[in-house]
Amino acid sequence: MSAAGAERAPALRCTNVEKRFGAITALAGLSLEVPEGSFFGLLGPNGAGKTTLIRGAVGLTRLSGGSIEVFGLPVSGPTAARTRTMLGYAPQEVALDRFVPVREALVLHGRYFGLSRRDAAERSDEMLDVFDLADRADSYANELSGGMRRRLHLARALVHRPRLVIFDEPTAGVDIELRQDLWQYIRRLHADGTTILLTTHYLEEAEALCERVAFIRGGVIAAEGTPPGLREQFGAGRLEEVYLRLVGR
Amino acid sequence: MSAGAARGSDLRRAQWRGVGALAERESLRVLRLWKQTLVPQILVAVLFIVVFGIALGGRINEIGGVPYEQFIVPGLVLMGVVTAGFANNGTSIYQARSDGFIEDPVSSPMTPAQLLAGYLSGGVLRAALIGVGIMVAARAFVAYPIENVAITAVALAAAAVAFTSLGTVVGLYARGWEHQNFVGNIVIQPLVFLGGVFYSVDDLSEPWRTLTRFDPIYYMVETTRRGMLGSSETSLGLSMGVTLGLAVVMLAWADVSLRRGVGIRT
Repeated sequence: MSAAGAERAPALRCTNVEKRFGAITALAGLSLEVPEGSFFGLLGPNGAGKTTLIRGAVGLTRLSGGSIEVFGLPVSGPTAARTRTMLGYAPQEVALDRFVPVREALVLHGRYFGLSRRDAAERSDEMLDVFDLADRADSYANELSGGMRRRLHLARALVHRPRLVIFDEPTAGVDIELRQDLWQYIRRLHADGTTILLTTHYLEEAEALCERVAFIRGGVIAAEGTPPGLREQFGAGRLEEVYLRLVGR
Repeated sequence: MSAGAARGSDLRRAQWRGVGALAERESLRVLRLWKQTLVPQILVAVLFIVVFGIALGGRINEIGGVPYEQFIVPGLVLMGVVTAGFANNGTSIYQARSDGFIEDPVSSPMTPAQLLAGYLSGGVLRAALIGVGIMVAARAFVAYPIENVAITAVALAAAAVAFTSLGTVVGLYARGWEHQNFVGNIVIQPLVFLGGVFYSVDDLSEPWRTLTRFDPIYYMVETTRRGMLGSSETSLGLSMGVTLGLAVVMLAWADVSLRRGVGIRT
């Protein structure tokens, strides 16, 4: 892929992606494109393959077949390291380093992903302000409330200024107030030009935030389009009805 | 590093910055938890010196022309280095896997070899601090020499790399704390104690004498003893060869495990 080609490529391109865990097929030839600059929702029931696909994109799952590209570069092989500088990932489960304080955790993440010490420190301070954690900068993760831990978890994924950010169920299990706050953070990030890929169980969340959504079922994309387009295609009033029709209820 | 994909030298610089950060994180963990990571092992070594060297050592005059309290010091230093290196990386890596935050560095641009370099830093630092700490503490009780600083340093450094690498492997493969404890208590500890730390292998009867010669830690003890006391039972070439060979094999095992994504990639 040339530099010019890479510029034109989608933020994420999945082509016939397969992943098997022994006898279980998690992804069965899934193909998907997430355009650069878009706010894209990946929806589906538990076990549909959403997290497996995401983990494949960030290099935490090895594919059984097919390919994934980030901005035109394959996520495996010689270009793997380059793709990771462009990706931010906030996994579903909040996983924070309990041995370092909040600010240091952000600085370390930035440096893991290639920022200089100074740049990582400046960027971490910025993230602490954006996510309202500045007054807890010296606290350890286990001293934070659940909401603060969730905010730190999301902030960490953004320290190195990724062009594509993947949020896996970012609002799962959080209260309404925090969910609104997180939506606000994510919207602001998207408005700044970052491509967002969001997985969620909350269809109203996808409807409120996403420009395009894809329903994943049985390891393949069952339907994809804009929320209004899908509602029209399925003659549905809400995405929830689209989803129920896709799962046969 | 920011919006675009780093290329060439920028990417390499980014990756090495990551290694520096990971090494710093692992080293800070050792230093911040000093009451757990440093003090106990130094204290245990001092107790061994006091009990075996000073209190009971009077009943054993010399081994190979070396006063008994001097004879046990190199083995105790090595024992501290070996157990510290293993325990550090086994614990740190399994903890990071168990809590899930290992995915942060693993999903970064660092290569598996670079991740290994970062993770080894903490274990090697801890092993070095414990080795030096035991030497300093032992001085308060025993006037031992260091005949050859280079041999001593190479032996202890190789032992630190070997067992920090083994700790990394166990930290990656372990499915629970009990797996790690099993290797530490049931495999490494007996190999250390039966590796000639407290006695001369020449004093053993068969088959123990021959069996001891299959214990790789015996050769590490011998190399360290040669460096510190200037004498040992085996040739320097053999003991140094086994010591360095074990370090290379363990390092390669840890590298392959990380490349294969054992315990960190599905």
